[in-house]
Amino acid sequence: MAAFICIADEALVTHLQNAIAVDGLTKYYGKLLAVDHINFNVEQDSIFGLLGPNGAGKSTTVRMLAGLTKPSEGKAIVLGFDVTHEIIRAKQRIGIVPELSNIYDEMTALENLVFAGELYGVPRQERESRARELLELFGLSNRATDSVGALSKGMKRRLTMACALVHKPKLLFLDEPTTGLDVQSARLVRELIRGLNKDGVTVFLTTHYIEEADQLCDQIAIINRGKIVALGSPEKLKARIKGVKVVEVSFSKTLANMESELQHISSVDEIHKFGDKFRVFAKESADIVADLVDYARTRGLVVASINTVKPSLEEAFIKTTGLDSETMMTEKEQIKPERGGRSGKELG
Amino acid sequence: MGKNWVDILIKAFYIAKKDAKVYYFKAPNFTYGLLMPISLFLAFSIAGQINPKLIASGLTSLVILFGTTSIEAVAIVLEKQTGTFERLLAAPVSFFTLLLGKALSGFFFGLVIATAILVPFALVSGTAIANPLLVFIAIAFSSLAFSALGVLISAYAKWVPEAQMLSNFLRFPMAFLSGTFVSLELMSSQLEVVARFLPLTYSVEALRISMTNSAITFTYLLDVLVLALFSVALLVIATKVLQRRIE
Repeated sequence: MAAFICIADEALVTHLQNAIAVDGLTKYYGKLLAVDHINFNVEQDSIFGLLGPNGAGKSTTVRMLAGLTKPSEGKAIVLGFDVTHEIIRAKQRIGIVPELSNIYDEMTALENLVFAGELYGVPRQERESRARELLELFGLSNRATDSVGALSKGMKRRLTMACALVHKPKLLFLDEPTTGLDVQSARLVRELIRGLNKDGVTVFLTTHYIEEADQLCDQIAIINRGKIVALGSPEKLKARIKGVKVVEVSFSKTLANMESELQHISSVDEIHKFGDKFRVFAKESADIVADLVDYARTRGLVVASINTVKPSLEEAFIKTTGLDSETMMTEKEQIKPERGGRSGKELG
Repeated sequence: MGKNWVDILIKAFYIAKKDAKVYYFKAPNFTYGLLMPISLFLAFSIAGQINPKLIASGLTSLVILFGTTSIEAVAIVLEKQTGTFERLLAAPVSFFTLLLGKALSGFFFGLVIATAILVPFALVSGTAIANPLLVFIAIAFSSLAFSALGVLISAYAKWVPEAQMLSNFLRFPMAFLSGTFVSLELMSSQLEVVARFLPLTYSVEALRISMTNSAITFTYLLDVLVLALFSVALLVIATKVLQRRIE
């Protein structure tokens, strides 16, 4: 009995230290396995990034953790509450900002915030003052009484974030917070995320921008095809491929089957094509530069450029998922619809 | 009433208030809710088959049915399409609270639109209203039942045309089989049995009784009770349907 109590206490302490504890979380949509037995913890007061290409399972993971869809298997504890059995209590303490703004175009910015306050049980006398405080924080004070339909995309995104904060959540989920925003709005959103985190809000964000994850996150999980393939701090993930030599090479002419020919060079471990360039991961202690120059000579080509690439999070990502960041961005942009025209990512 | 139920009702009221602002109280909704039933009645009146003075109850019930379901049936579907439904799902409210809120907005709209048709109609046609309180109660329970029907359709449908098709599939047979145009006594016994499974039958009957009798009758009480049971059953089924659709 004493041992049991000890274990239970230990579990409780772990849950209290972690804003999120995920164990074997799985989601099937019919026969499709969207999220495959993932495990990770998110420390309180940290910024955690879930990085991965389109369709990797990022949004599904957020939807399970925020109680928008039920897990098929596994367990997730959010702020000490089981998402399967105590989701209403968890929802009272979390905020969620979806990828697409989900505010009412027919209502004003202020009305949207007050409605959010009503839904989350913010006391009547505090609702409007809290709403005005958030409008100020997000630089929307002068648009308070404007209909949301008249706001720009960046303003809508900021208002969506404000709505998610009206009840002062301890944990904030952000699904692709800067996708589709102009550079200035994206920077502003990132600054707001850092500010919220400094104020003690744990942030869980999904992104396909590797640089954004590198800049913002304390911990990153890379997800691909529903599985977590790497987990750690950005520096830790970069360190994983530090010993690996990576070079970027381009030739005077790109031949058909060039990628496959380069793959057959004995010192080449892995190769990825970007436009007219090839990013080559070399096998340990191989002289990859000499081999690439030899290859060019035998094919009657000239090496147009060759650079040793410093390991970055992008390299870690490429090595881990086998995807290049450009492909990932292109995929994302292609499926990015505006309000009223949702993509295949229907509810549930 | 427990604290939990008070919380459910308060949050449902906020959702209803928002829906009223966003969807209901707009001119096109009033015109559709009024025009369709009035057109049906005028068509029958011209044919000389009904006496307008006797059909105030049927017309009012039909206006509530068409008025509430025309918006209610598509309200959730529209919110799913625009993404705003996720905001409601993300909030700390149960599926039942959410759907009760949706039904309440239709309920309030039903009260307004029924008054908008009944009062002028009664004045123009000289139709007497024996007990206004009982009439109001009958209108209120009818509004709730028809709103709940709309909520069920909306929880089930995946897109707007499907919701519209389903609501018309239910509304039009109900309009002709519930004693609105033709009295139940004039129907065959088989059709009368069918009519007893339709909420509109009880709405028409409760309104007819309260407009002609100042005292509460057993049939009136039974009609109101059946409408209340329809409301609860439809909302509970809608909650299950929505849960399955989302999870």
